[in-house]
Amino acid sequence: MAWLETSLPRWPGWRHLPRETRDTLFLLAVIGWTVLPHLARLPWWCVALSALVLAWRAHLALANLRLPGRAPIIALLLIAAVLTLWSEQSLLGKEAGVTMLVVLMSLKTLELRARRDALVVFFLGFFLVLTHFLYSQSLPTALAMLVSVWGLLTALVLAHMPVGKPSLRQAGVLAARTALFGAPLMAALFVLFPRIGPLWGLPQDAVGRTGLSGTLRLGGVAEIANDDSIAFRVRFEDGFAPLPDSLYFRGPVLSRFDGIEWRRRSVAAPPITAGDVEPVRTLGAGLHYEMTLEPIRLPLLPVLEATPNRPGAAPQIEGYALTLRPDLQWQTDRIVTERIRFSAQAWPRFEYGAALDADERTEALFLPPQFNPRVLAWALEFRRERALSSADASALSTALLAHIRTAGFSYTLAPGTYGRDGIDEFWLDRKAGFCEHFATAFVVVMRALGVPARVVTGYQGAERSPLDGYYVVRQSHAHAWAEVWQRGRGWLRVDPTAAVAPERVSRSANLEPQVGLVAGALRTVSPELSLQLRALWETMNNRWNQWVLNYSRTQQFDLLQRLGVRSPDWQALGLMLIGLLVLGALAGAVWALWDRHRQDPWLRLQAQIRAALAPLGVDAHAHDPPRRLAAMVRERLGDRSDLLAYELDELDRARYGLRARRKIDPRWWPRFSFEAARLRRTG
Amino acid sequence: MFAERLRTWFENRLPISDSHTLTQGNIYIVPTKAGFAFAFTLVLMLVASINYQLNLGYLLTFLLAGSALVSMHLTHGTLRGLTLRVKPPAPVFLGDSAEVEIVLSSPNTERHGIGLAVSRARPLSFAWCDVPAQGSATARVRFVPLKRGQTRVPALMAETRFPLGLFRAWTVWRPAAQVLVYPRLENPSVPLPASQGVPGASLAARFADGGEFDGVRSYRRGDAMRRVVWKKAAKTGELVSRDTSESANRELWLDFDHAGLTDVEDRLSRLAAWTLAAEQTGLAFGLRMPGMQLPPSQGDAQRRAALEALALW
Repeated sequence: MAWLETSLPRWPGWRHLPRETRDTLFLLAVIGWTVLPHLARLPWWCVALSALVLAWRAHLALANLRLPGRAPIIALLLIAAVLTLWSEQSLLGKEAGVTMLVVLMSLKTLELRARRDALVVFFLGFFLVLTHFLYSQSLPTALAMLVSVWGLLTALVLAHMPVGKPSLRQAGVLAARTALFGAPLMAALFVLFPRIGPLWGLPQDAVGRTGLSGTLRLGGVAEIANDDSIAFRVRFEDGFAPLPDSLYFRGPVLSRFDGIEWRRRSVAAPPITAGDVEPVRTLGAGLHYEMTLEPIRLPLLPVLEATPNRPGAAPQIEGYALTLRPDLQWQTDRIVTERIRFSAQAWPRFEYGAALDADERTEALFLPPQFNPRVLAWALEFRRERALSSADASALSTALLAHIRTAGFSYTLAPGTYGRDGIDEFWLDRKAGFCEHFATAFVVVMRALGVPARVVTGYQGAERSPLDGYYVVRQSHAHAWAEVWQRGRGWLRVDPTAAVAPERVSRSANLEPQVGLVAGALRTVSPELSLQLRALWETMNNRWNQWVLNYSRTQQFDLLQRLGVRSPDWQALGLMLIGLLVLGALAGAVWALWDRHRQDPWLRLQAQIRAALAPLGVDAHAHDPPRRLAAMVRERLGDRSDLLAYELDELDRARYGLRARRKIDPRWWPRFSFEAARLRRTG
Repeated sequence: MFAERLRTWFENRLPISDSHTLTQGNIYIVPTKAGFAFAFTLVLMLVASINYQLNLGYLLTFLLAGSALVSMHLTHGTLRGLTLRVKPPAPVFLGDSAEVEIVLSSPNTERHGIGLAVSRARPLSFAWCDVPAQGSATARVRFVPLKRGQTRVPALMAETRFPLGLFRAWTVWRPAAQVLVYPRLENPSVPLPASQGVPGASLAARFADGGEFDGVRSYRRGDAMRRVVWKKAAKTGELVSRDTSESANRELWLDFDHAGLTDVEDRLSRLAAWTLAAEQTGLAFGLRMPGMQLPPSQGDAQRRAALEALALW
């Protein structure tokens, strides 16, 4: 290992590093920390490239070597752009943007010559911090990013302390102080800045906190099993209490399958309007309900199946344009970022989609050729064995459900990850999974059997609150099921999960997450502490969600109303914000004015003394100490001024004698001025 | 051109004083390029937050905006209240750069990252310093005087971008201090004119040996440094000088009329170079100018007197 010792510089210890090296390493560490949460989302080459570049930069700093020229950096950047195009198929959009941002940021560190060059890195860094919030706005993310912002500000402060070697701690304190003083302004802006809708249409990848983002790949819904937050509440009118197994709340319908991912129909078919010939045939009585939707951050309303577009039945929300897609999903024109309430009417028994057009049929039958060959073979075998060659869709689905019940499938939330031919693996080998596995596999097999089928995502089930009769639906109620098309009847709902885990559907136990390693250990060691910690965490998380993440237009207007504004609107918000800022600026100006005239108390006292002595004929200078003033007083006024001169000597001792103090006894001045006034009168 | 005149007009209306206390009235502040870039970043972040409806994005954007606003006050506060004083600079030869020492004192808190420079110099070269709380710090700024004689120290500038570099606060100030500029030294120098024996003494031979050493006497102000017996001074702690008798016996006249050049400044340059050379040899020398005469003497004091006479002539 001799080469290692010669090629790597020795680590001299953090304190002994030269200033430039230390500052550079600190900045690199901050950048590393900021990039870290993105690692799982970045393509592998980006992770490797930025790690390599940052490590190289650290090596250059430690060994005090020269930085590379422009050419290799530009070459690396071009390579990175090509790789981004290759792995993301685009240079725009969220994923590609984040990838390029990380690459740019790490490459820019190679250009850090002067400390001022670092400014670009800081601004890129702040933007990178923002990109994390596209994926997660949870409390841990916020805390991690707070550390990042602090680190970046500290590095920025360090860059502007050119003298000597200021300690990181000193710079850190200065940065924290700056941010802390800025916090009131932050709070005011956050509370009062008008929350307006998106300025332009969002790319489809904008959302993704929950599983109902309009795409599905195996493993996607599992993430939200951990999310116990409330998605919405439902109340049924007329005291009607439906069974949980009839509560299907419809989200995106996914019919395009490319082997890995399920997507919605690409063709923008015209929405169903109220005047159309009704494609939905409702049976039985309608069910009036009122839904209070939390900010689910999705551009849709998860309405109860089936809520048609009929006057009196369709939901109506002020400020949103609602459309009913041809697949019966209610779409909003923007992401729901505030709590909204609406009433609608649904018919649990319905039929629709009797007429299937050619495009839709092709898509609902399509199976990508290079994927899941064994399941396709299995399906042909199944049909032959069971003599189902002439069976219709419902007979086939009944047979398949029976197969699921008897073939040893099990329901679990932690099935592990599946590979490329995930359906093959699930259906034939491992046979363990949850709703998304069952629904997608079921659809693939049905298609292989020649039946048009598709996946529907949404919420299923609810918890009935005994107190107020509300049904509470949580994010963990997210569900996926299947629809198959039968000639003459249209689309029929089939829930294959019910076949293996009927309690998931009928009793509506929501997806309960698997216990992690640490939590499991804690639970065995101290169940009580574990419970307390969990409760504390949930309370904090809930507060966070309520106060920060769900703060929106509604809450802003509520606040204005509580402050006495009759009809809150944008203008009121804007005026209040401007008023607050003006008030702050005025307070600052007043303080500055006061500060300008502020003087050292000792100097002020001396000036007062001189002013008091002047009418007595004592012409004192600013540099005369009190004892000299005392001598002048004695000389000028003689015996009758003994008391005044004594007071001055007293002051001299208090200021300059043994046990001198900076602060003068506040009772001294009244005594002195009283005596001076007496002398002036008797003078 | 116009900017130059504006700047001159602006500087000419500044009061002249050796002590300059910074208040709201004489500190200027504007955003830097980085400040504008930061504002642009903030706008981008705000648009991203609006479009993606990110409440945390709003929080981050507003936190940074608040910090930027606070940093403006901190930048201003870094200069506000400081007192700058110029120490009288040491004399220099024309063509050399003069060093101005500026003492910055803070009445209250610690101040960081203050740069001082000559405000007309391009490019600005800053001398950076930190001022401790209730203490003072010194910064040294150099400038090259353009003419001989008493020259006023040019307008100085104190600048800071601390803490975040988003704003630049600065002040311009005309110190009253003057620097004495001696004539430019002639280069290469010409040998000294011959010295004459003082009537009644005949010790020319001893001088030829290069100054024989007769004995020591205690140091007197004005003795040249090279005549101090440092070895003895190091042992005893008492300053003693060599006492050579030959220098007392010979004297050298540096005469304006015999300096041999036509241009006045060139002659002054030669005389200045001779003054230094004469002081080096340890000879007693005098300076004869039209209308004034400096009687022969030796040592540092004589050198300074001669150079000052040349500077102000």
